[in-house]
Amino acid sequence: MTQYLILCRSLSTAQRAARTLERAGTTAVVVKAPAGLTTSGCGYAVSLRKDLESALSLLERNRIPYGKVFMKPQGGEYREVER
Amino acid sequence: MIYLDNAATTLVKPSRVISAVQRAMQTMASPGRGAHRPAMLAAETLYDCRAEAAELFRVPEPEQVVFTMNATHALNLAIHSLAKPGMPVVTSGFEHNSVIRPLRSLGAELRVAGRRLFDPTDTLERFERLLPGAGLAVCTHVSNAFGYILPIDEISALCRSRGVPLIVDASQSAGTLPVDFGALGAAFIAMPGHKGLYGPQGTGLLLCAEPGRPLLQGGSGADSRLPLMPEHLPDRLEAGTHNVCGIAGLLEGLRYVREKRPSAILAHERGLLALAVQRLETLGLRVYAGEAQSGVLSFESPGTDCEELAGALAEEGLCLRAGLHCAPLAHESAGTLERGTLRMSFSAFTAPEEVRAACGRIEETLSRLGNRGRSREKE
Repeated sequence: MTQYLILCRSLSTAQRAARTLERAGTTAVVVKAPAGLTTSGCGYAVSLRKDLESALSLLERNRIPYGKVFMKPQGGEYREVER
Repeated sequence: MIYLDNAATTLVKPSRVISAVQRAMQTMASPGRGAHRPAMLAAETLYDCRAEAAELFRVPEPEQVVFTMNATHALNLAIHSLAKPGMPVVTSGFEHNSVIRPLRSLGAELRVAGRRLFDPTDTLERFERLLPGAGLAVCTHVSNAFGYILPIDEISALCRSRGVPLIVDASQSAGTLPVDFGALGAAFIAMPGHKGLYGPQGTGLLLCAEPGRPLLQGGSGADSRLPLMPEHLPDRLEAGTHNVCGIAGLLEGLRYVREKRPSAILAHERGLLALAVQRLETLGLRVYAGEAQSGVLSFESPGTDCEELAGALAEEGLCLRAGLHCAPLAHESAGTLERGTLRMSFSAFTAPEEVRAACGRIEETLSRLGNRGRSREKE
């Protein structure tokens, strides 16, 4: 199953994003971002298994800032989702 | 023991606060320091606490709620973010040293507005007169020494109309009076966790409309390659390991206050205040009471040293605070700077019987001290 990672600027913002998604019925988990995906070192992300587009729309509607978005197919590598 | 020093620290806490502190100590590590369960459990608790405070104080986003060690820490963060050397800063005549000392230390030019106790009209008029040309206003919501409730809504409206940023010290109002961050439009609101929010000592909150300037630099658990603290809240102002156990307790304190309702707690404390005023006045004491007053009461016994009386009362198991209450400006305004006052302050857990018994002990102790004084005169 594909995993999506939405990078967030802080742990607190990742928590707000995850809770907003959970309230809307999307399973979302706060995780530490893989070291290779962050440029400033030690970051947090929201991990999803599906519904990326609707999740991002929900974050935007709630004015929750987010950074780069990555996807990783099962057994594959992370690659950035162009938006 | 009768504890009536709640304006310093509420001693009796909801039992859930104590349980939460113990649970945190046994199960939680440091938020932002790992993805393992103990770290994430701590992170969830901190976020819950931010969200609870944001709800109670109507802060738009939980990230705008910053954890501090106490209100003094929060006020220092706010003042160092906005005040500059030589900047004219308007304060009320009832500020605590946690406002006055940082301003003086920065070399700000203090303009003191309103020194008449329990006179909101005078306070407001003085603010209006002194605000033009000021770069900042810092105002307490309630005097910690006298319980005087300042007209903070009107002061904030004045500041907004003059374009002067406002810092509010909500140390004595958070948990009892309405503190609406959005409506006040303040740049920062500072408060302790260990008074009217019933959290443990060593906790405080700073509600922020802007990122502010860090007092401490260090680890933030994220953005580690940045040479300076991150630009965004709350990380920008929260360097180092959090007081997770304290914050876990504060979360339960906030939940207790929301369930109990601040207006109900204030009504309870004002009922106790009226009872104390009535009893103390019958003892011939000088009591500082007015319409605009919360559950904090100053009084003095003419001719008796307030510290000596407080010491004698402590021996009788009555806990009051004597002296200047770290607020010499407030005492100067009230004309009590040279002698100080005794302060009685209540909480949601104070019972009327305790107030009656306290007044009884004051009467007995004064009588004993008076007798001792007369004996010394004879010698």
